[in-house]
Amino acid sequence: MNEKSTVLQLRDFMNTPEGWGRDQGREIYNKLIGFVEANPGTMIFKVSLRNVKRLDISFASETFVELARRYRGYKGFCFIDLADQDMRENWDAAASRKGQPMMVWEGKKGRVIGVEPSQGTLGAFKFALERERARATEFAAATPDMSIANASTKFKQLWEQGFLLRREDIAESGGVEFTYFRIG
Amino acid sequence: MTCQINFQSGWIDASALEFALRSGCEPHGAGVYEVIFLFPTGCKIMVDTAVRMLSLLDQLDYWTRRVRLAFDEGESGTMGYLNRMGFFDHLAKDIEVSPARPSLSGAEIYGGTNAGLVEIAGISREAKDNALLSRLTDALTRSCGTRTDAKELEGAAWTIFAELVDNIFSHSDTPLDGYAALQLYSRGKSLKVAVSDSGRGIMDTLRPTLKTEFPALDVLSDLDLLVEVFRKGLSRHGGSRGCGLKGSAEKAIKFNADLDVRLPTGRVLLTPGKQGYRPNTACCYEHLPLIWGTHICFTFHLDSTR
Repeated sequence: MNEKSTVLQLRDFMNTPEGWGRDQGREIYNKLIGFVEANPGTMIFKVSLRNVKRLDISFASETFVELARRYRGYKGFCFIDLADQDMRENWDAAASRKGQPMMVWEGKKGRVIGVEPSQGTLGAFKFALERERARATEFAAATPDMSIANASTKFKQLWEQGFLLRREDIAESGGVEFTYFRIG
Repeated sequence: MTCQINFQSGWIDASALEFALRSGCEPHGAGVYEVIFLFPTGCKIMVDTAVRMLSLLDQLDYWTRRVRLAFDEGESGTMGYLNRMGFFDHLAKDIEVSPARPSLSGAEIYGGTNAGLVEIAGISREAKDNALLSRLTDALTRSCGTRTDAKELEGAAWTIFAELVDNIFSHSDTPLDGYAALQLYSRGKSLKVAVSDSGRGIMDTLRPTLKTEFPALDVLSDLDLLVEVFRKGLSRHGGSRGCGLKGSAEKAIKFNADLDVRLPTGRVLLTPGKQGYRPNTACCYEHLPLIWGTHICFTFHLDSTR
């Protein structure tokens, strides 16, 4: 089963195609929280920036960067339809300031802005990005000299830092096994 | 006591404004009840100086000084230019103008038709105007539309205005309006983006929180602290804020823009370097005549071949 995702059009929450300032950002943040809470079954929100002309760093900081930070580990937010370089820079600056990684997707190609994974977890992150779901046992099996415990630690770090989401499953052995998901 | 400020003939940029202010007496001085500004023939006011002056004039009027502006050339000179940018639309009503206030607002007559000039926009905390930023940057589209980097330039100017104007809403803590304007000079070779307010000034709002939020920075001079504000981003609200001015600087530095910041009694010029903005130590000014607020101007140096 794929984790449920929903496309969210940011423009639908804005009065004008331009978003700027902390006050406006906070106003929209409250509307966005309402939307997220009204969709309890959705784990991943794909935020479409279609028809949004511009937004500044303060607005970016107060809306999805803050939202991603609030729900870190439980729900994920990624961007789609983000072709504008200037807007991408502003999301990046806002996410970087709050230490919150955010995914940007162009078709099947995803890249992270705001924060980069550490060198130690980069391999695990790339492994997770290439598939809809990933387990530590799979990463360990596919990576030379990687123990399951080490793989598990790396995935856990990525989850805690907001790069991945995860779900608790029951392993065949009867114990708990986490399944990790890319955001998007 | 009457305080008389005499401008020189020629371009009045921010440095010439300071020179004129220092040559006279303190307009905000305790014994001053009247301030006269004299604009001689051939005097031409630059856009950043105009918005800075407008803030100072607002302040003098608010603190009950009698203020008079005397233009030797009348409307055929710099007064006409100021009128076109809407200077007199924002000027406090009690301020006297000689020979006389323009009967018609040039900004209303020519509004939006001058390719390189944008009328001064008032920034009121009471009535936030969401279309303000687009009006400011549309002039760039009109006059720089053929440049290969037009979109990037417009995006940079828009973000800078957005962050600086939002700072006024968030921090300036004054009943007086702020002002913003933009102008292209020298056939598109340079662009000035200026924002001015009459608040307490960025240092006054930041300093009290340094001990708790950024103790290591508490020992820095105003100059070094200002560099940190634009290079690393600092906010009185703590570490996760303050990205606006830093982000603005990062956009401006791509265009090799100089940065001029006037604080209540000091002025700092920052120039672009490999590690971000650095102070131009040859041009630091302290103990200047008081102008309340924070007055910021980015000057973009544009490659005319792009």
